[in-house]
Amino acid sequence: MIRVNDLHDVPWREGLTVQDVLDQLKYSYALITVSIGEDVIEPEHYADTTVPDGCAMTVFHLAHGG
Amino acid sequence: MAPRKIDITINDQKVTVLEDSMLIKAVLGAGIALPTLCYHKDLTPNGTCRLCLCEIEIRGRKRLVTACNYPVREEMTVWTKSERVLKHRKVLAQMYLGRWPNVPVVQDVARRCGVTDGSAFASDLTDPNPKACILCGHCVKACEEFIQERILDFAGRGILRHLTMPFGETDPHCIGCTSCAFVCPTGAIQVVEELNHPVDPNLIRRHGMKVNAEMATLDKVQCRMREVGTANIVEVMDKYDLLPVNNYKFGSHPETYKVDSKVLKERYFTQNSPDGCWFGCSMSCAKAVDGYELKTGPYKGQRVTVDGPEYETVGACTNMGCFDPDFIVEFNFYCDTYGIDVISAGTGIAFVMECFEAGVITKADTGGLDLSFGACDSVLELLHQMSRGEGFGVEVGQGIRWLKEKWIREGRGDAQFIRDVGMEVKGLEFSEYVSKESLAQQAGYSMAVKGPQHDEAWLIFMDMVNNQIPSFEDKAEALYYFPLWRTWFGLHGLCKIVWNDVAPADNKKYPPQQAAKIPEHVDNYFKFYEGMTGEKLDEEKMLAQSARVHNLQRLMSVMFGFGRREDDVPPYRAIGPVTAEEYLSRAERYDGQLKSVLGLDPEAMTLDEKRAALRAHREAQYQKVMDAAYARRGWTRDGIPTKARLRELGIDLPELLALAAD
Repeated sequence: MIRVNDLHDVPWREGLTVQDVLDQLKYSYALITVSIGEDVIEPEHYADTTVPDGCAMTVFHLAHGG
Repeated sequence: MAPRKIDITINDQKVTVLEDSMLIKAVLGAGIALPTLCYHKDLTPNGTCRLCLCEIEIRGRKRLVTACNYPVREEMTVWTKSERVLKHRKVLAQMYLGRWPNVPVVQDVARRCGVTDGSAFASDLTDPNPKACILCGHCVKACEEFIQERILDFAGRGILRHLTMPFGETDPHCIGCTSCAFVCPTGAIQVVEELNHPVDPNLIRRHGMKVNAEMATLDKVQCRMREVGTANIVEVMDKYDLLPVNNYKFGSHPETYKVDSKVLKERYFTQNSPDGCWFGCSMSCAKAVDGYELKTGPYKGQRVTVDGPEYETVGACTNMGCFDPDFIVEFNFYCDTYGIDVISAGTGIAFVMECFEAGVITKADTGGLDLSFGACDSVLELLHQMSRGEGFGVEVGQGIRWLKEKWIREGRGDAQFIRDVGMEVKGLEFSEYVSKESLAQQAGYSMAVKGPQHDEAWLIFMDMVNNQIPSFEDKAEALYYFPLWRTWFGLHGLCKIVWNDVAPADNKKYPPQQAAKIPEHVDNYFKFYEGMTGEKLDEEKMLAQSARVHNLQRLMSVMFGFGRREDDVPPYRAIGPVTAEEYLSRAERYDGQLKSVLGLDPEAMTLDEKRAALRAHREAQYQKVMDAAYARRGWTRDGIPTKARLRELGIDLPELLALAAD
């Protein structure tokens, strides 16, 4: 299981990528910072970075609105 | 799809680059210097000076390319200092030095190419001016790409090529943004007069140019404000269940694709350039639709220009259950023409629609209009009635608070239901974001001095998505900082959009609590202030500046009867699901919360019991966040600024002390 923002649990599977997690949670906002543990993942690596089982992932959204 | 990665070799050094990135970025990124005259990291390159020549080999074939505008698309070997490259560079440097022998930047680049004497290329064209224009084109591109104007360009061919304005005359469209002077490498373009006499114009300019560069380079891969404006978040809000639908009952809809930014761009937006919002703004987020033929109203059949739509316009329409893009444009036009606030109109009519569908009012009240959700034609008729001062539109035009009080007084339907679904606080209709799942946003809306306008605080992502402010104290801190920061923009006549609708590429280096503030952009604003006034600003001073006004505003609200605790409490629709339909639409979420947060077993509860338990919990949570926020602001439990707070802020005037609490 992947824990995202200490809020959502996403079932893990072999080959699960960062992009898969974002798609599942419908995180489509452009101004986000994704981290697995302490490591920031750059957008060009979302599709080819696999997520380890049991990890804590942070998807930080910048404020919008106005 | 993620861009392909390509391996290349530069001077025997292996480097991996993204497909279509320019070769110069790979070279410079590898720590290898390249001489250039016409390259600027924030402007589109065009290979003018040729000094960045590199020799490349692809599948056995060698050739020279200009690195600045050569996109890497396949594996290759690159040499930046081959014999062939150095020979060409030397000749180019001699030619430049021959034409502009005294320009420091030309002398410097020539020296780097091993050239100190350009006399072999001296001619009638030689210009001894150390501030000569070297035809690099930076100014032309800065005007176009930073400001989206074309005031400057080249004219003439070959040796007659020169920089000019259209027809060689001073172009009145030039607003003096000084981007051209800022990027000019020789001083050929200089600022000769500062009309409003800032203390340190260069400070303003340096930080302003950073903003311009971000807009030119980052916006297109971030929020696309230049491309579609605020409408970029229509589809985003839908995905996050935040787009108001049917009077905030729901946060998404399967037909949102009909009215999203792609549709608006492809079929409607015709003006994609700076307009009168703030002429010269490099973000240029305001959009317009030209030549739209109106279908209703006093201008039916006429082709008009419509200023918009913005996100809030689209949200106001989806809130009424209307997913017809033509309707949105027409609604936008007539609200503007009649001087009706589009948000208040949309949210107000959405309330009327829900009351119509619930039987609180009938066609007998509406003058025969069917005001079910999605009744676009009826909505437009209501607008026309409002403008003519006729019919049911006159009542709708009084706003939600007036309508609630009228219908409750007349004993129409369930008074609690009417109060629960009438989305207004302090008499102002809510703006277009669903706040149900963000306690901080409920407070950000409802505690706003003017009413539920998201301009004071937009905390939804920090709260319900990032889970960044989990405790009441965290929320209170956000409810302290962000309203004051956002008030500051208004006090100084500055737009907030370049604060957070574009982000510096390296904002992610900050820990989340800091990153949320976007420190580099906050610093830009502090520098604008310092550049104008000569006074340094930091967070503490900024908060004090705003807090003085914010507390004054609050006391004025108290004076006008809107500034107490009871006035900061939202209708339940802003906090949680009012109806069974709403609860069931997100049953998994709500049942999950009953279980995880309250320790209840939803399986063993009726729907009414679940709704009641959730409501009791959420309303209690809201009271707690108010307590925490008031304490942080130095206000009493009733939401009144204290005398001590006024003294702390230096606004303990007798008139204000008379209104403040002990």
